[in-house]
Amino acid sequence: MCHQTVSLVARHIEANGIPTVLMGCAKDIVEHCGVPRFLFSDFPLGNSAGRPFDVESQGATLELALRVLETAPAGRTTVQSPQRWRDDASWKLDFSDLGKLTPEDIAERRKEFDVVKAVIKTKQTDA
Amino acid sequence: MGDPKAFAPEHDAPIPYLQRTRDYYLALGYGAYRWAHFNDVPFTPLDKPLEKSRVALITTAAPYQPGVGDQGPGAKYNAAAKFYKVYSDSTDTIPDLRISHVGYDRKHTTAEDPNTWLPLARLHEAVKAGRIGELTPRFYGSPTNRSHRVTMETDAPELLRRCRDDGADVALLVPS
Repeated sequence: MCHQTVSLVARHIEANGIPTVLMGCAKDIVEHCGVPRFLFSDFPLGNSAGRPFDVESQGATLELALRVLETAPAGRTTVQSPQRWRDDASWKLDFSDLGKLTPEDIAERRKEFDVVKAVIKTKQTDA
Repeated sequence: MGDPKAFAPEHDAPIPYLQRTRDYYLALGYGAYRWAHFNDVPFTPLDKPLEKSRVALITTAAPYQPGVGDQGPGAKYNAAAKFYKVYSDSTDTIPDLRISHVGYDRKHTTAEDPNTWLPLARLHEAVKAGRIGELTPRFYGSPTNRSHRVTMETDAPELLRRCRDDGADVALLVPS
Protein backbone atom coordinates (compact mmCIF):
# COMPACT_ATOMS: atom_id res chain seq x y z
CA MET A 1 0.00 0.00 0.00
CA CYS A 2 2.97 2.25 0.70
CA HIS A 3 4.00 1.96 -2.93
CA GLN A 4 0.55 2.92 -4.14
CA THR A 5 0.42 5.95 -1.83
CA VAL A 6 3.74 7.42 -2.93
CA SER A 7 2.92 6.68 -6.57
CA LEU A 8 -0.18 8.87 -6.25
CA VAL A 9 1.88 11.54 -4.49
CA ALA A 10 4.64 11.44 -7.16
CA ARG A 11 2.03 11.95 -9.89
CA HIS A 12 0.56 14.96 -8.10
CA ILE A 13 3.91 16.63 -7.41
CA GLU A 14 5.16 16.01 -10.94
CA ALA A 15 1.93 17.33 -12.48
CA ASN A 16 2.53 20.54 -10.53
CA GLY A 17 6.00 21.16 -11.90
CA ILE A 18 8.45 19.36 -9.61
CA PRO A 19 10.28 16.40 -11.23
CA THR A 20 10.15 13.21 -9.13
CA VAL A 21 11.77 9.80 -8.90
CA LEU A 22 10.41 6.91 -6.85
CA MET A 23 12.66 4.17 -5.38
CA GLY A 24 10.76 0.98 -4.63
CA CYS A 25 10.46 -2.81 -4.51
CA ALA A 26 6.88 -3.43 -5.76
CA LYS A 27 7.18 -3.15 -9.53
CA ASP A 28 3.64 -3.99 -10.55
CA ILE A 29 1.92 -1.72 -8.03
CA VAL A 30 3.93 1.33 -9.09
CA GLU A 31 3.66 0.64 -12.84
CA HIS A 32 -0.06 -0.15 -12.62
CA CYS A 33 -0.61 3.26 -11.04
CA GLY A 34 1.82 4.93 -13.45
CA VAL A 35 4.61 7.27 -12.31
CA PRO A 36 7.08 9.49 -14.18
CA ARG A 37 10.35 7.82 -13.05
CA PHE A 38 10.90 4.64 -11.09
CA LEU A 39 14.02 2.86 -9.87
CA PHE A 40 12.98 -0.71 -9.12
CA SER A 41 15.03 -2.88 -6.75
CA ASP A 42 14.00 -6.55 -6.88
CA PHE A 43 14.33 -6.85 -3.10
CA PRO A 44 11.87 -7.81 -0.33
CA LEU A 45 9.50 -4.97 0.64
CA GLY A 46 11.24 -2.70 3.13
CA ASN A 47 14.49 -2.33 1.17
CA SER A 48 13.65 0.39 -1.34
CA ALA A 49 16.91 2.22 -0.61
CA GLY A 50 19.33 -0.73 -0.75
CA ARG A 51 20.61 -3.71 1.20
CA PRO A 52 20.74 -3.59 5.05
CA PHE A 53 24.10 -2.60 6.58
CA ASP A 54 25.60 -2.26 3.10
CA VAL A 55 26.60 1.33 2.42
CA GLU A 56 27.88 0.45 -1.01
CA SER A 57 24.55 -1.10 -2.05
CA GLN A 58 22.63 1.87 -0.65
CA GLY A 59 24.93 4.37 -2.34
CA ALA A 60 24.64 2.58 -5.69
CA THR A 61 20.85 2.47 -5.35
CA LEU A 62 20.63 6.21 -4.69
CA GLU A 63 23.06 6.99 -7.51
CA LEU A 64 20.98 4.96 -9.96
CA ALA A 65 17.80 6.73 -8.82
CA LEU A 66 19.51 10.08 -9.44
CA ARG A 67 20.56 8.89 -12.91
CA VAL A 68 16.95 7.93 -13.65
CA LEU A 69 15.85 11.38 -12.48
CA GLU A 70 18.37 13.04 -14.79
CA THR A 71 18.01 10.92 -17.89
CA ALA A 72 14.43 9.59 -18.17
CA PRO A 73 13.22 10.56 -21.66
CA ALA A 74 9.49 10.36 -20.82
CA GLY A 75 7.00 9.31 -18.16
CA ARG A 76 6.68 5.64 -17.08
CA THR A 77 10.45 5.21 -17.19
CA THR A 78 11.38 2.19 -15.07
CA VAL A 79 14.95 1.12 -14.51
CA GLN A 80 15.67 -2.11 -12.64
CA SER A 81 18.69 -2.12 -10.37
CA PRO A 82 21.17 -4.85 -11.31
CA GLN A 83 21.58 -5.77 -7.62
CA ARG A 84 20.29 -9.19 -6.54
CA TRP A 85 18.92 -9.85 -3.04
CA ARG A 86 20.51 -13.30 -3.17
CA ASP A 87 21.33 -15.85 -5.86
CA ASP A 88 18.49 -18.13 -4.76
CA ALA A 89 15.19 -16.40 -5.61
CA SER A 90 12.97 -18.68 -3.50
CA TRP A 91 12.17 -15.77 -1.14
CA LYS A 92 9.88 -14.45 -3.87
CA LEU A 93 7.54 -17.41 -3.44
CA ASP A 94 6.71 -16.63 0.18
CA PHE A 95 4.80 -13.33 0.00
CA SER A 96 1.10 -13.96 0.79
CA ASP A 97 1.48 -17.55 -0.32
CA LEU A 98 -1.97 -19.07 0.22
CA GLY A 99 -0.69 -22.55 -0.58
CA LYS A 100 1.07 -22.63 2.78
CA LEU A 101 -1.97 -21.58 4.85
CA THR A 102 -4.43 -23.97 6.49
CA PRO A 103 -8.12 -22.96 6.91
CA GLU A 104 -7.29 -22.30 10.58
CA ASP A 105 -4.46 -19.98 9.54
CA ILE A 106 -6.84 -18.12 7.25
CA ALA A 107 -9.43 -17.70 10.03
CA GLU A 108 -6.69 -16.45 12.36
CA ARG A 109 -5.38 -13.96 9.75
CA ARG A 110 -8.91 -12.68 9.18
CA LYS A 111 -9.38 -12.14 12.90
CA GLU A 112 -6.08 -10.24 13.09
CA PHE A 113 -6.99 -8.11 10.09
CA ASP A 114 -10.37 -7.20 11.56
CA VAL A 115 -8.57 -5.98 14.70
CA VAL A 116 -6.20 -3.91 12.51
CA LYS A 117 -9.14 -2.37 10.66
CA ALA A 118 -10.87 -1.50 13.94
CA VAL A 119 -7.72 0.22 15.25
CA ILE A 120 -7.35 2.23 12.03
CA LYS A 121 -11.00 3.26 12.14
CA THR A 122 -10.71 4.58 15.71
CA LYS A 123 -7.49 6.44 14.94
CA GLN A 124 -8.83 7.99 11.74
CA THR A 125 -11.82 9.32 13.65
CA ASP A 126 -9.40 10.87 16.15
CA ALA A 127 -7.14 12.41 13.51
CA MET B 1 28.51 -18.37 -12.86
CA GLY B 2 26.29 -21.06 -14.40
CA ASP B 3 25.56 -21.52 -18.09
CA PRO B 4 25.11 -17.98 -19.51
CA LYS B 5 22.58 -19.32 -22.02
CA ALA B 6 20.36 -20.97 -19.41
CA PHE B 7 17.04 -19.25 -18.62
CA ALA B 8 16.44 -17.94 -15.10
CA PRO B 9 13.88 -19.92 -13.06
CA GLU B 10 10.27 -19.02 -13.90
CA HIS B 11 9.57 -17.64 -10.39
CA ASP B 12 12.68 -15.44 -10.45
CA ALA B 13 10.77 -12.39 -11.66
CA PRO B 14 9.34 -9.37 -9.81
CA ILE B 15 6.70 -10.56 -7.31
CA PRO B 16 3.14 -10.09 -8.70
CA TYR B 17 1.89 -8.12 -5.70
CA LEU B 18 -1.37 -6.95 -7.30
CA GLN B 19 -2.53 -10.51 -7.94
CA ARG B 20 -1.21 -12.04 -4.74
CA THR B 21 -2.72 -9.32 -2.56
CA ARG B 22 -6.07 -9.57 -4.35
CA ASP B 23 -6.11 -13.37 -3.98
CA TYR B 24 -5.06 -13.14 -0.38
CA TYR B 25 -7.88 -10.83 0.68
CA LEU B 26 -10.42 -12.76 -1.36
CA ALA B 27 -9.32 -15.94 0.45
CA LEU B 28 -9.78 -14.12 3.75
CA GLY B 29 -13.34 -13.32 2.70
CA TYR B 30 -13.02 -9.65 1.75
CA GLY B 31 -14.06 -8.07 -1.54
CA ALA B 32 -11.73 -7.49 -4.50
CA TYR B 33 -9.45 -4.51 -3.98
CA ARG B 34 -9.29 -1.90 -6.74
CA TRP B 35 -5.71 -0.70 -7.18
CA ALA B 36 -5.03 2.83 -8.42
CA HIS B 37 -4.53 2.76 -12.17
CA PHE B 38 -4.03 5.53 -14.73
CA ASN B 39 -3.23 5.59 -18.42
CA ASP B 40 -1.80 9.11 -18.48
CA VAL B 41 1.37 9.91 -16.57
CA PRO B 42 2.58 13.48 -15.94
CA PHE B 43 6.15 14.37 -16.85
CA THR B 44 8.17 17.47 -15.99
CA PRO B 45 11.72 17.68 -17.41
CA LEU B 46 14.51 18.84 -15.10
CA ASP B 47 15.34 22.47 -15.66
CA LYS B 48 18.74 22.51 -13.94
CA PRO B 49 21.51 20.03 -13.15
CA LEU B 50 21.21 18.00 -9.96
CA GLU B 51 24.40 19.49 -8.55
CA LYS B 52 22.53 22.80 -8.44
CA SER B 53 19.21 21.36 -7.30
CA ARG B 54 17.54 21.24 -3.91
CA VAL B 55 16.22 17.74 -3.25
CA ALA B 56 13.12 16.86 -1.18
CA LEU B 57 12.77 13.43 0.45
CA ILE B 58 9.33 11.90 1.01
CA THR B 59 8.99 8.78 3.17
CA THR B 60 6.18 6.55 4.42
CA ALA B 61 8.07 5.71 7.61
CA ALA B 62 6.48 6.77 10.90
CA PRO B 63 7.96 8.75 13.78
CA TYR B 64 8.43 6.51 16.82
CA GLN B 65 5.50 6.89 19.21
CA PRO B 66 6.08 5.78 22.81
CA GLY B 67 3.20 3.82 24.32
CA VAL B 68 1.62 2.29 21.23
CA GLY B 69 3.35 -1.08 21.28
CA ASP B 70 6.36 -2.70 19.67
CA GLN B 71 7.70 -0.73 16.72
CA GLY B 72 11.19 -2.21 16.73
CA PRO B 73 12.93 -4.25 14.04
CA GLY B 74 10.84 -7.28 13.09
CA ALA B 75 7.85 -6.17 15.21
CA LYS B 76 4.47 -7.52 14.12
CA TYR B 77 2.29 -5.29 11.98
CA ASN B 78 1.34 -2.44 14.33
CA ALA B 79 -1.70 -0.51 13.17
CA ALA B 80 -1.62 1.68 16.30
CA ALA B 81 1.74 3.11 15.15
CA LYS B 82 0.28 4.54 11.96
CA PHE B 83 0.00 8.27 11.33
CA TYR B 84 -2.82 10.05 9.54
CA LYS B 85 -1.48 13.51 8.79
CA VAL B 86 1.46 14.68 6.69
CA TYR B 87 4.44 15.52 8.92
CA SER B 88 7.83 17.17 8.41
CA ASP B 89 11.05 16.89 10.36
CA SER B 90 14.56 18.30 10.03
CA THR B 91 16.99 16.77 7.55
CA ASP B 92 19.92 17.98 9.70
CA THR B 93 19.64 15.11 12.15
CA ILE B 94 18.80 11.45 11.65
CA PRO B 95 15.22 11.00 12.92
CA ASP B 96 13.87 8.04 14.90
CA LEU B 97 11.54 6.56 12.29
CA ARG B 98 10.03 3.07 12.23
CA ILE B 99 8.15 0.91 9.73
CA SER B 100 6.18 -1.43 12.01
CA HIS B 101 2.98 0.21 10.67
CA VAL B 102 3.39 -1.10 7.11
CA GLY B 103 3.47 -4.48 5.39
CA TYR B 104 7.17 -4.91 4.70
CA ASP B 105 8.55 -8.42 4.18
CA ARG B 106 8.94 -9.58 7.76
CA LYS B 107 10.13 -13.02 6.76
CA HIS B 108 13.06 -11.94 4.63
CA THR B 109 14.10 -8.62 6.13
CA THR B 110 14.21 -7.21 9.63
CA ALA B 111 14.10 -3.41 9.32
CA GLU B 112 17.15 -3.17 11.59
CA ASP B 113 18.92 -0.70 9.33
CA PRO B 114 16.78 2.41 8.63
CA ASN B 115 19.05 3.25 5.68
CA THR B 116 17.29 0.54 3.67
CA TRP B 117 14.10 2.61 3.55
CA LEU B 118 15.31 6.15 4.39
CA PRO B 119 18.29 7.22 2.26
CA LEU B 120 18.94 10.36 4.35
CA ALA B 121 22.54 9.49 5.30
CA ARG B 122 23.32 8.56 1.67
CA LEU B 123 21.72 11.85 0.51
CA HIS B 124 23.95 13.82 2.88
CA GLU B 125 26.94 12.05 1.36
CA ALA B 126 25.68 12.97 -2.13
CA VAL B 127 25.52 16.64 -1.06
CA LYS B 128 29.07 16.46 0.32
CA ALA B 129 30.28 14.86 -2.90
CA GLY B 130 28.67 17.64 -4.94
CA ARG B 131 26.37 15.16 -6.70
CA ILE B 132 23.28 17.09 -5.61
CA GLY B 133 23.11 20.73 -4.56
CA GLU B 134 21.44 20.45 -1.18
CA LEU B 135 18.54 18.93 0.72
CA THR B 136 15.40 20.80 1.68
CA PRO B 137 15.61 21.73 5.37
CA ARG B 138 12.88 19.21 6.12
CA PHE B 139 11.88 15.76 4.86
CA TYR B 140 8.20 14.84 4.65
CA GLY B 141 6.10 11.93 5.90
CA SER B 142 3.29 10.61 3.73
CA PRO B 143 0.47 8.73 5.53
CA THR B 144 -0.39 5.29 4.11
CA ASN B 145 -3.50 3.15 4.20
CA ARG B 146 -5.66 6.10 3.36
CA SER B 147 -8.36 5.99 0.74
CA HIS B 148 -7.23 6.94 -2.76
CA ARG B 149 -9.37 10.04 -2.45
CA VAL B 150 -7.74 11.26 0.79
CA THR B 151 -4.25 10.62 -0.61
CA MET B 152 -4.99 12.49 -3.84
CA GLU B 153 -7.13 15.33 -2.47
CA THR B 154 -5.60 15.98 0.97
CA ASP B 155 -2.17 14.42 1.50
CA ALA B 156 -0.59 14.88 -1.95
CA PRO B 157 -1.50 18.61 -2.15
CA GLU B 158 -0.16 19.11 1.39
CA LEU B 159 3.13 17.37 0.49
CA LEU B 160 3.39 19.53 -2.65
CA ARG B 161 2.79 22.68 -0.60
CA ARG B 162 5.58 21.74 1.82
CA CYS B 163 7.99 20.91 -1.03
CA ARG B 164 7.28 24.31 -2.57
CA ASP B 165 7.59 26.16 0.75
CA ASP B 166 11.04 24.61 1.15
CA GLY B 167 12.09 25.48 -2.40
CA ALA B 168 12.45 21.90 -3.66
CA ASP B 169 13.62 21.55 -7.27
CA VAL B 170 13.13 17.77 -7.39
CA ALA B 171 11.61 15.13 -5.11
CA LEU B 172 12.71 11.60 -4.19
CA LEU B 173 9.91 9.34 -2.91
CA VAL B 174 10.74 6.20 -0.95
CA PRO B 175 8.04 3.78 0.22
CA SER B 176 8.88 1.43 3.07
